[in-house]
Amino acid sequence: MLADRPQFEDLYRAYLGRIYAYVRAQVSSSADAEDITAQVFMNAYQAYARFEARNTTPAAWLFRIARNATLDHFRAHGRRERLRRTIEHQPMAEQDPSGLAEERIQYRALLERVGRLPERQRDAISLRHSGLSFEEVGTLLKCSEDAAKMLYHRAVKGLRDAVEKEGA
Amino acid sequence: MNDSEDLELQALQRQLDDAFETTRPRPGFDDELWTRIQAHRLASARLRDAWMGLIQGIREAPAVPMGAVAVLLVVALGVGVVTLSGVHIGGGGGGATSLSAGSGQQQYGPEAGRAGPPGAFGRLPSPVLNPGSPDKAADSAAQPTFAAPGLPYPGPVTLTWTGKLDLNVTSAPVFRYAEPSTNTADQFGASLGAILLSRPGGYLGSYETSDFNVRVRGTIQSPAREPSFIILPIRALAPIDAAGGSADVAVVFLAQHSLAPTWPYTSESTTSGDETKVLLLRQFAVNGHGYAYLVNGNGERYGLEVDLKGNTPTLATGPLPLSLDTANYSIITADEAVRSALASSPAVAASPAAPSVALTTAELVYSLVVAGDHSFYEPAILFSGSFVVDGKTYLKRVLVPAVDPAQRSS
Repeated sequence: MLADRPQFEDLYRAYLGRIYAYVRAQVSSSADAEDITAQVFMNAYQAYARFEARNTTPAAWLFRIARNATLDHFRAHGRRERLRRTIEHQPMAEQDPSGLAEERIQYRALLERVGRLPERQRDAISLRHSGLSFEEVGTLLKCSEDAAKMLYHRAVKGLRDAVEKEGA
Repeated sequence: MNDSEDLELQALQRQLDDAFETTRPRPGFDDELWTRIQAHRLASARLRDAWMGLIQGIREAPAVPMGAVAVLLVVALGVGVVTLSGVHIGGGGGGATSLSAGSGQQQYGPEAGRAGPPGAFGRLPSPVLNPGSPDKAADSAAQPTFAAPGLPYPGPVTLTWTGKLDLNVTSAPVFRYAEPSTNTADQFGASLGAILLSRPGGYLGSYETSDFNVRVRGTIQSPAREPSFIILPIRALAPIDAAGGSADVAVVFLAQHSLAPTWPYTSESTTSGDETKVLLLRQFAVNGHGYAYLVNGNGERYGLEVDLKGNTPTLATGPLPLSLDTANYSIITADEAVRSALASSPAVAASPAAPSVALTTAELVYSLVVAGDHSFYEPAILFSGSFVVDGKTYLKRVLVPAVDPAQRSS
């Protein structure tokens, strides 16, 4: 094991919450977010032997896995989910009372709106507010750092417009 | 972009920061997922761990397997022997043990392991009591709430003795165990069919079966606590079908996992709603005297604990089964014990307002004394008396080392 590579459990404990929040902003239920988060860390655990800290940060590595797992989820369920969000256009269904307590209500609505943004804008906001640098966001979204900044700012404006429109 | 729009966007970004920062999975999800991740370890790693455990088990003295064999015999003879209260006697782990469970007849002998000549362990460290100090290990070992009729009183008191103490023996066994290694813990885990997951800080190992997680730790210095295990179900365990009460359910569950006590004990249960805490209070056999309870640093009896919800175990914790060596030591007389107890509170002159406390009961007990590579269960006399100050009932306990001072190091 490389000396500069942290123990996987340390990585897991440090990033679980952030990865979950990132995934939660993409999907419509905490149950799906848990499933995807679990898949992310299962995949990461199996791939950790191949992780090389000198090539990327642990955060960028984990968020890449998280992004791929989320995209996989949408490939399997996304059409139905996107349709539902578009049709219902209302807060995400959350029947489980413990789920309601799980997240602050006021922020859940905001994440829900993030989830309705176009895919790349949604990713830009989620990755940036999960603690990644614009350089890391750009790497993950396969664009330059400047392009990532522009994408992010466009996304925030789009989000503000959506908030204002819904609040009107 | 005008100033107003800029401020709006900044406010939204702050909200996004907060939203992502405060969105976290439900409590417990992190441990659940970590357990699942560990369960997905490659089969080869599991096999390697299992084989390493087996190999170590063959290399080292088979303390746990011997205990397991004894427990199997106990189970084969019938769990029905166990009753809700009274003395219960488990099988010993060594050939020198002569405990018997036959029709109320009690034979006394060494707890387990090898019996050495008198004083074979050399000079012994002395047990101490830490009255009034909350036991920080209460989350992981049996804490008999019923044994504390009053608040512990740590301050100075004026002591008198109004009870009666009969010490009908002049010597008592001292028991010694070697500090367990990770190999010992791995053996224990393997005996439960559990696979090594990791070695978290403060523990010798964390193990897992498909049903529960087991953690094993070594001796804790302060408050003194022997090596112990704790079992926490990963998922709801099957209810135990036992004819008797909660204590029987607890013992059957322990026996199913080769964890039924191999030492004498009495059982106590406390119930709140559908939750019951069963305590199997450990005792040591003393030839010519009977059984003496093991007490912790607060003078409270303890042993194995099984928590139940209905008939379903939700937690089990207790001492790690270890081989004990034993050697007899001369002990002090009853008069000497009383004098030592009364002399233990010399602060009368400095605190003339110290409450007067009559010690009314005394019993021979055993107390753990931690001493590096080897630790000891040593005999002691526990004096107790309750008194009232400002309308509150307090309990004063005094622990007097029973081993002859000439054989103690301090």
